[in-house]
Amino acid sequence: MIDALFFGRVAEALGQRRTQIDVPAEGLSLLSLRARLFIGDDDSKVLMSVNQVIQSGDQALHDGDEVAFFSVFSGG
Amino acid sequence: MADIDVKLLPETLDPVQEHAAFLACFGHLGAVTAFTGVVRAAAKDVIVDYLYLDWYPGMTEASMHAIAETAAERFEIAALVIRHRCAKVKAGQPVVFVAAASSHRRAAFEAVDYMMDRLKSEAALWKREVGPDIDHWIEPTGKDAEDLQRWSKP
Repeated sequence: MIDALFFGRVAEALGQRRTQIDVPAEGLSLLSLRARLFIGDDDSKVLMSVNQVIQSGDQALHDGDEVAFFSVFSGG
Repeated sequence: MADIDVKLLPETLDPVQEHAAFLACFGHLGAVTAFTGVVRAAAKDVIVDYLYLDWYPGMTEASMHAIAETAAERFEIAALVIRHRCAKVKAGQPVVFVAAASSHRRAAFEAVDYMMDRLKSEAALWKREVGPDIDHWIEPTGKDAEDLQRWSKP
C-alpha cells in the first residue's frame, strides 16, 4: 500500500488530501502514479516527494512508501 | 555547533515573548537581531481577511531546519530560532519570527535576512490569501526569486 498525500493547489484541484493505493504485481513508478491520479504531466509546477525527499525524475515505488504531490512552496 | 530551534505553530505566535526568551538565552553573545512578519490587511489595495498556510508535517519542519543550518554555517552564527505559523492566520497577526545571535552584528543581520529570503521560496508551506474579493494560492514572485538570487553571489 502506498500513501499518497496532496498539498496546496494540488490538493484543491484533486478535491482530496490523501489516498491509498495498492502496488500492482507489475510494480508502480512515481510518474505512473502521478498519471493515475490525474495529476497533469504538463504541469511543471507540480512537485513530488517520496518519503519526504523531493524527487524530480521517475523511480520505482515500494509498499509502505509515502508519496506527496504539491505546488511550489510559499512560506515567509 | 550552533544552537538551532525551529517550531511550526498551528495556533499562536507571540514574537515579543519569543524575542525575550531568545535574548535571555543568547544576549550575552553581544548581537541579537530579529524579524517578525505580519499578515497584511491589504494586498495591492485588496482587503485580506486571513492567510491559510497548508503544511506537510515533518517535511515542513525539516525544510526550515535545513535553512537555519545553512545560515548558521554560512554566517558563523551561534544561535538561531525560527517560528512559523501554519493553518489560519488573520490579518494583523504575526506569521513568522526569525532571530539570530552572534558576537558580530553584521553576521546576525545577514543571517536573518538570508533565512527570510529562503523561507519565502523553500519552506514547505503553501500560502492561500483570502478576503471578501480574493481567494487564491500565493506563489513566489519574481521579486522573491531576485531576493533569493542575492545569496548565490560570492
